[in-house]
Amino acid sequence: MIRVLDPTNEMKAAGTQPALRPPSLKGKTVGFISNGKEGTKGYFAHVDRMLREEFGVRDVVWRTKSNYSAPADQHIVDEISRWHAVVTGVGD
Amino acid sequence: MQLSNKQALTSKVYEIDDFAAAQELFHSNGWTDGLPVVPPTEEAVEACLEWALMPPDQLIGIEPVREQPITAEKLAINAVMAGCLPMHFPVVATAWSAMMQEEFLLHGTTSSTGGCAVLVIINGPVRLEIGANATFNALANSDRATAVIGRALRLALINLMDVRPGGIDRTTLGHPGKFSYCIAEDEEDTTWQPLAQMRGIPEHTSAVTVMAAMAPRQIMNEWTTDPKEILETFAAEMRANQRHYSIYGGNYAIVIPKQLREHIQGAGWTKRDIAEFVYERARIRRAEWADVGKGAVVRDRGDSVYTALDSPDHLLVVAAGGPAGGFGAIIPPWMGHKTKAVTAAIGACADCEPPKS
Repeated sequence: MIRVLDPTNEMKAAGTQPALRPPSLKGKTVGFISNGKEGTKGYFAHVDRMLREEFGVRDVVWRTKSNYSAPADQHIVDEISRWHAVVTGVGD
Repeated sequence: MQLSNKQALTSKVYEIDDFAAAQELFHSNGWTDGLPVVPPTEEAVEACLEWALMPPDQLIGIEPVREQPITAEKLAINAVMAGCLPMHFPVVATAWSAMMQEEFLLHGTTSSTGGCAVLVIINGPVRLEIGANATFNALANSDRATAVIGRALRLALINLMDVRPGGIDRTTLGHPGKFSYCIAEDEEDTTWQPLAQMRGIPEHTSAVTVMAAMAPRQIMNEWTTDPKEILETFAAEMRANQRHYSIYGGNYAIVIPKQLREHIQGAGWTKRDIAEFVYERARIRRAEWADVGKGAVVRDRGDSVYTALDSPDHLLVVAAGGPAGGFGAIIPPWMGHKTKAVTAAIGACADCEPPKS
């Protein structure tokens, strides 16, 4: 019999809770946080059109991170409170 | 040295039948890199902590993006699994601490599709104490110490940061350095200043430099003794990397083994001279992308010049490699200057006497 130790991180970082979902997007402002990669342009353009035409979104705000592998810049994070929803986490 | 009032380990304990059962437990839980591991017993983990004079709950760092705290106990468990002896642990702990610095961009470098590995370069007296070999086969299976230190960091990324393929690790291809990527500098056989000193660490101090690095690209030039011609071959490989992989400037490492090193040293060139020459030579015009099938992104900036190094300081020149052969290697950065190499001195205990039982 041997005793071995758990190698995983049992001390997890403080979790975060997802924001409440708006019941409707009609008349709302939605922000896009792009990582700036080439493929995101067409993707976000399509989602922008869809949100406005199919869901009645009033404004779509586009923002792009200065470093696609790092968290969003603080000035972008500061803007988020003025939006009702955010689309981010899009890869290549 | 024995710690008084030794703190108890707090990790969950698994009781298993034997070595083979340990392998199945660790593999089935996704706790390995695919190779067998040394079962991390309480005794082995405590020995690592005692050598480094670290209590189990000592914070090695907090990963800046996910705010994940890493303790000495958890890092030591992964070091034991990798095959580390207690004397290797201070190197692992210092390298990990360096990786947690914001400029290293640990989350980005370990989650990226680009698939880099953490290159560790060891300098100072600790190299000799742990038997790190800086000569034959320097970039590969050169010795026990560098093999297990590099592997410890990978296992810790897997288990402590969930950097598993398909999980946090979204790498498309990766490279073999992701198993282990650690070298020592051959300080005894060069007139050049050690890398760590070039980066501000005091003389005779043990230190590690970590860099988010792609695979080595080997060069060969056995047909000249002129430093400029030799270094032109290195610079050409960097230009090739700019054309074929990433055009953007960042930290590059170049590894210069003894045969080429002696020509360059003999001509009186220092590492600084090398860096300034390479800085001038390793640069391309954006228009060159069109030569390698990337014409679509040249746009109207074809005449823009991109340097492989933002400045000469960004070149990490390392003396290492076997005694014969006109070879060398460049090691490119993961992605330009989005990440920066970090150098850190190994704690005072790296040179301590082993614990007395």
